[in-house]
Amino acid sequence: MEEKDLVEQSKKGDEEAFRQLVEKYRGRVFNMALGMTRNTEIADDIAQEAFIRAYFGLPGFKHKAKFGTWLYRITINLIRDYMRKKERMPKLSIEEIKENPFNHQDEVIKREEEKTQAERRAFVRRFIRTLPEKYQIILTLRDIHELSYGEIVKILKISPGTVDSRLHRARRMLRKQIEPYLRRRV
Amino acid sequence: MSCKKFEKWILRSFDNRLNQEKQKTLEEHLRSCSLCQEKREEYRTIIGLLHQEKEQEPKPYFWERLQAKIRKRQSVPFWVSVKHWSLRAVPISLIFVLVLTIAILLFSPAKEQELTQSEVLLLRNRNPLEETQLLFDQKLENQNMMLIFSALEEKNNIRRPIP
Repeated sequence: MEEKDLVEQSKKGDEEAFRQLVEKYRGRVFNMALGMTRNTEIADDIAQEAFIRAYFGLPGFKHKAKFGTWLYRITINLIRDYMRKKERMPKLSIEEIKENPFNHQDEVIKREEEKTQAERRAFVRRFIRTLPEKYQIILTLRDIHELSYGEIVKILKISPGTVDSRLHRARRMLRKQIEPYLRRRV
Repeated sequence: MSCKKFEKWILRSFDNRLNQEKQKTLEEHLRSCSLCQEKREEYRTIIGLLHQEKEQEPKPYFWERLQAKIRKRQSVPFWVSVKHWSLRAVPISLIFVLVLTIAILLFSPAKEQELTQSEVLLLRNRNPLEETQLLFDQKLENQNMMLIFSALEEKNNIRRPIP
């Protein structure tokens, strides 16, 4: 069954159709939340809430965008809500990141030896969390989840020009922070 | 053109948002600028590391947990729905009362007005003082007689002959 049909069936209360939609998107929704929150429990809660909101919002869904795009928008809004609530918690500072894996020369060597691609990836992603919210979101959507410009435009409801400039600024900021480590080797 | 401009182009080239002409200009610049070359490599490394390699799985029984939550929200307790609707009930009732009042005022039939005897006579283009005038036009004896007979007819002794 095509996605559009699954959506229509779900609107009529077909649980099996909705289950198929959940199976298709749960990974992406969860990973999107995980990328921003870095917390499995919270990411799972956000993913569940996103699907609940989608389920109850289905009667109002008119296929103006793809179901996936609509669902990502719901997820991003939930992530934003979470991040705003979380603002009272101290933001991860660049100093904390610096301290952790690259503080002592011995540890640097040790790390370099056992560093895997996954660790390097995790290291770079930790820097994203030091950026302002809107830059975190744009990098998550474009560079982590590789969504197209068109999808990002629809999800964030901003113009392609804004996507371009925001993404450009976000990447520049990220590079500036990682640059010293890149020169050593990440 | 400055290296800052080329930096923008480098980033756009990762998203395939650079036309052929600009791409060619960029490549030419990169051949002669080691700084921009280095930048491109750094960006390539960063973006490469950001790309999702493998998606992590959410916690087990995702669908079952979700299904339970949906069902729970579907069966909202009665008092919660009452509370929810009571907040909306106040403005809705006020609007209803207002509309009803306006409707009553606009569409209620006009009340028939009762006319007095004088008004009826005036409406018939007759002088309401005609009868009284007739009385005064009579001679005094006749007036008395008329009043007596009139009182007798009404079985009312209030009216007295004029002295």
